[in-house]
Amino acid sequence: MKQPLLQNERFVQIAAPLFVGVVFLCFWELAVRAAELPVYILPGPVAIAKSFVTDWAVLFHSLMMTLKVTLLAFVIAVVLGTAASLLFVQSRWIEVSLFPYAVLMQVTPIVAIAPLIIIWVKDTTWALTVCAVIIAIFPIISNTTLGLRSVDPNLMSMFRMYRTGRWQQLIRLRIPSALPYFFGGMRISTGLALIGAVVAEFVAGTGGSQAGLAYLILQAGYNLNIPRMFAALGLITVTGILLFALMVWLSDRVLRNWHESALKVEQ
Amino acid sequence: MVKQLKAIRDEVVVSMTASTKTDDQARAFGGRPVVEVAGVDKVYGNGTVALKEVNLTVGEGEFVSLLGPSGCGKSTLLRVMAGLGEASSGTVKWWEQDYQVVGQKGRKLAFVFQNATLMPWARVRKNVRLPLDLAHEHGEASEARIDQALEMVGLSKFGNAYPRELSGGMQMRASIARAMVTEPNLLLMDEPFGALDEMTRNRLNDDVLRLWKEKGWTVVFVTHSVYEAVYLSNRVVVMAARPGRVVEDVRIDAPYPRGAEFRVSTEFANYCRRVSLALEKASAQGEEDH
Repeated sequence: MKQPLLQNERFVQIAAPLFVGVVFLCFWELAVRAAELPVYILPGPVAIAKSFVTDWAVLFHSLMMTLKVTLLAFVIAVVLGTAASLLFVQSRWIEVSLFPYAVLMQVTPIVAIAPLIIIWVKDTTWALTVCAVIIAIFPIISNTTLGLRSVDPNLMSMFRMYRTGRWQQLIRLRIPSALPYFFGGMRISTGLALIGAVVAEFVAGTGGSQAGLAYLILQAGYNLNIPRMFAALGLITVTGILLFALMVWLSDRVLRNWHESALKVEQ
Repeated sequence: MVKQLKAIRDEVVVSMTASTKTDDQARAFGGRPVVEVAGVDKVYGNGTVALKEVNLTVGEGEFVSLLGPSGCGKSTLLRVMAGLGEASSGTVKWWEQDYQVVGQKGRKLAFVFQNATLMPWARVRKNVRLPLDLAHEHGEASEARIDQALEMVGLSKFGNAYPRELSGGMQMRASIARAMVTEPNLLLMDEPFGALDEMTRNRLNDDVLRLWKEKGWTVVFVTHSVYEAVYLSNRVVVMAARPGRVVEDVRIDAPYPRGAEFRVSTEFANYCRRVSLALEKASAQGEEDH
């Protein structure tokens, strides 16, 4: 029997927000036309779409630059963050001594320290990457540390009863227990890596062949090329959403057999 | 006539237990001692006295239940017996030696927790084999042991299932299979069936009794159910709270195998009454002391 389309959960999940978006864009376009707003104040969706097509080469090049910094920063944040968490759970002393500095790093506005980093690190890509790592790493550290500590105490007792060493406890018990938390951290961290990459580029303001989406926005702003500005902004948003979706997918794949977060609720 | 004599003898046993030292008593009940707890106190960091002057000896082949109200320290005592928590004072001996002896051949210990305590990310078979993995025991012999353990708890077909796909009772069976796979000599069970419905609980009780007989285990079983304690054990140790201590040691002299008829027999009812009275007395004492 064929299910009515509106009762198909998946269809509704995609169609409903899409419908809202289309309505919003139509309203936007109509409002812009009715008010006769010039494109350098507020372009309509059609003008922005045109810019996408005509400026695609430069947009794509910038996107690749920003994406490179984002992914590089994300990978480094995951590796270093996980390593830090593993270090933290080795002893309370290490955690107590170092964790406040992880927090310190998190609460310091990246905009305020980015100029310093850009002075210190010669290579632009790496300078931007360092900035992005600084804000992307915290959710990984805090979530993974929490996860590595969230071990069923009875299971831990059992491991102790069989006189299991630290290494075995880590591999067989702590790491699997930490996975859901770790993936939660990754979801937040991808978005932050992207924001870090963009913000750092705004501060650095470097152009040339290294120019990413942030520089494109700056430049378009100077030239009053507002449709291109919107196009670049749109690309950043879409990239962020896709990265987030990728993380959700990854976490579902790994956890789907056992963790509540990845289970489908049956009605 | 025989029944009357038996009843009289039971009375004597009970009064003896109350007056004599429990470890002498244990030797009379079971074989050579498997665990001996002598003068054990357990005081927590915040000053709570969980156990006070506890003496208890469990002999080989015995099925001993620790029965008492919540907070009487029965789980604490079991953990001390498992070597999971150290006593504040007093001594614990395993096979008349110190803890080092635990784990050697013929001196293996297994613990079954209140919850199934399975690793949710691992399939049932992987969960059951965990103790073998931790002891680095691989090969065909251990595979066969896993198969056998799964079969004995009736989970042969569920080796590839994840714990969340099993009912509460089945998860508990998996937990028991995991305990069995090391071929333990001493099995410590901490209210293992407390969270299950009565029918499942009765069935699992029979399973445990059957395995106890077949495997020649020594079992210490924590419960707060009088019926469960009487049904399972050949000895019920009644504890009181605040501070946690042993107040009575009742021998249940009914023959095994015990089945549904035993549950409805006068003998069973009498034992339950006696244990209940002891429990009530223990609770009343606790209240007064408090």
